[in-house]
Amino acid sequence: MGKVKVKKKDPRIDMTAMSDVTVLLLTFFMLTSTFLQEEPVKVITPASVSEDVVPEQKLITVLVSQNEHDGHGQVYMEIVGASKKDDADSAFTTENVKKQILQIMASKHNINFTAQNYEDFAKLNAFGHPIKDLKKWLDLPVNERAEALKESPGIPLNMTTYGGEMTEFQEWIRAAAEVFSQRDDATEDIRSGKAIAIKADANTPYRMVEIVMNNLQSIKRNKFTLMTSLKTAKD
Amino acid sequence: MGKKNLSHQKKFETRIDFTPMVDMNMLLITFFMLCTTMLKSQTLKIALPSNSDESKQEQNQNQAAESQAFTIILDGKEEEKDGNYMSVQSNSKFYYYEGKLDPAQAATQLIEAKGIGIKGTKDTNFLTAILQKKNEKALKKIGEYKKKWENHGYSNDDAQNDAAYQADATKVLAELNAAHETPIVMIKPTSRASYADVIGLLDQMQINSIGTFQIETLSKDDSTALQAKGVQLPPVPSAKK
Repeated sequence: MGKVKVKKKDPRIDMTAMSDVTVLLLTFFMLTSTFLQEEPVKVITPASVSEDVVPEQKLITVLVSQNEHDGHGQVYMEIVGASKKDDADSAFTTENVKKQILQIMASKHNINFTAQNYEDFAKLNAFGHPIKDLKKWLDLPVNERAEALKESPGIPLNMTTYGGEMTEFQEWIRAAAEVFSQRDDATEDIRSGKAIAIKADANTPYRMVEIVMNNLQSIKRNKFTLMTSLKTAKD
Repeated sequence: MGKKNLSHQKKFETRIDFTPMVDMNMLLITFFMLCTTMLKSQTLKIALPSNSDESKQEQNQNQAAESQAFTIILDGKEEEKDGNYMSVQSNSKFYYYEGKLDPAQAATQLIEAKGIGIKGTKDTNFLTAILQKKNEKALKKIGEYKKKWENHGYSNDDAQNDAAYQADATKVLAELNAAHETPIVMIKPTSRASYADVIGLLDQMQINSIGTFQIETLSKDDSTALQAKGVQLPPVPSAKK
């Protein structure tokens, strides 16, 4: 009886091609990605048909949470300066801008921040403490800051009228506008409202956004933008 | 012969097994995919009137109040959960009235637009239909310009085409507004209205080419009229002088 010869196949597949593809994909994702910035509150912005894209630089974001403290939602701020490639003398980077803003606030409230405090403040994404508690927060160990930020009452503000006493939130905006005014393009962005964006969740009661708008209005920042996501066809 | 095995060198496998490499890459790709934001947020521009002079504001309101005014009041329902306040769109209520609110006839003048959801419900078109009817003339003109724009009628250059179209549209709105033929829409959200609804309404203004609109706070007459309709309003936070 003749034996049926079974051809022995190599059970291993050549993975080289697969590896090539994955490396390519990996490179693509690494180059195109901008990391999600950690934010103290999760926000799903409402949808709109507007197609103006949020600027990536020279932007003050006012983040409004739905968690009520002192009769309003917690308010956080994020400040971004000019990107490095856009700025020849690199004096207007996010870190420099934030340091200068903190300096203005510190001198106004007579608080002595350490050099380390300035460094930390410049690197952190969002902040939202009353100015008297800010130093305490910056002195915390790195891993406890995010949690403390969530517990914070936020930047203090209340309903104001024009020319009335300034709230801390207004002081921050003023300080930021002052620093931004060092550059002509940033000044223009502030004036046209492009540089100030309010970010709030779709389900936020309007009063929590209203109080922020009111505070901006009272210091003559009548123009600003509201952050939205693009409306999809099913909306 | 003793040399028999000497030339028999051990043959090394030349192929390297890439499977672990692929595994690792896949992991990294997954990580980057989850951590990236591909979608960019959009922004909606908004300009509020200055609140420096309240009497002036009231004057403006009265001027607008005559023939062109169209007021939409947004209301909602707040819910609390662990200190978080929510105003979900499914609880939204819309009221509207035309012209100036006459306190004597407020109850009939103020109409509740039942079942209007700005987002996705079939009744959405109800409010849109009203706005479209009020803004008929402007929409007709702008529609013509839009056709021209679509066919590159202004210029073959995209940017110039856009700019010319925008200029024409703005001009038409200004002209019609001067002739009192476009509506001036007043958006008045109560403090508990949902933020998404406010954005939704601002969106409708853009979609329906409403030239003039503003966000305002409820006036005393508005509150009285709402209360006459059985709406219990929350206390209004007052401005610190």
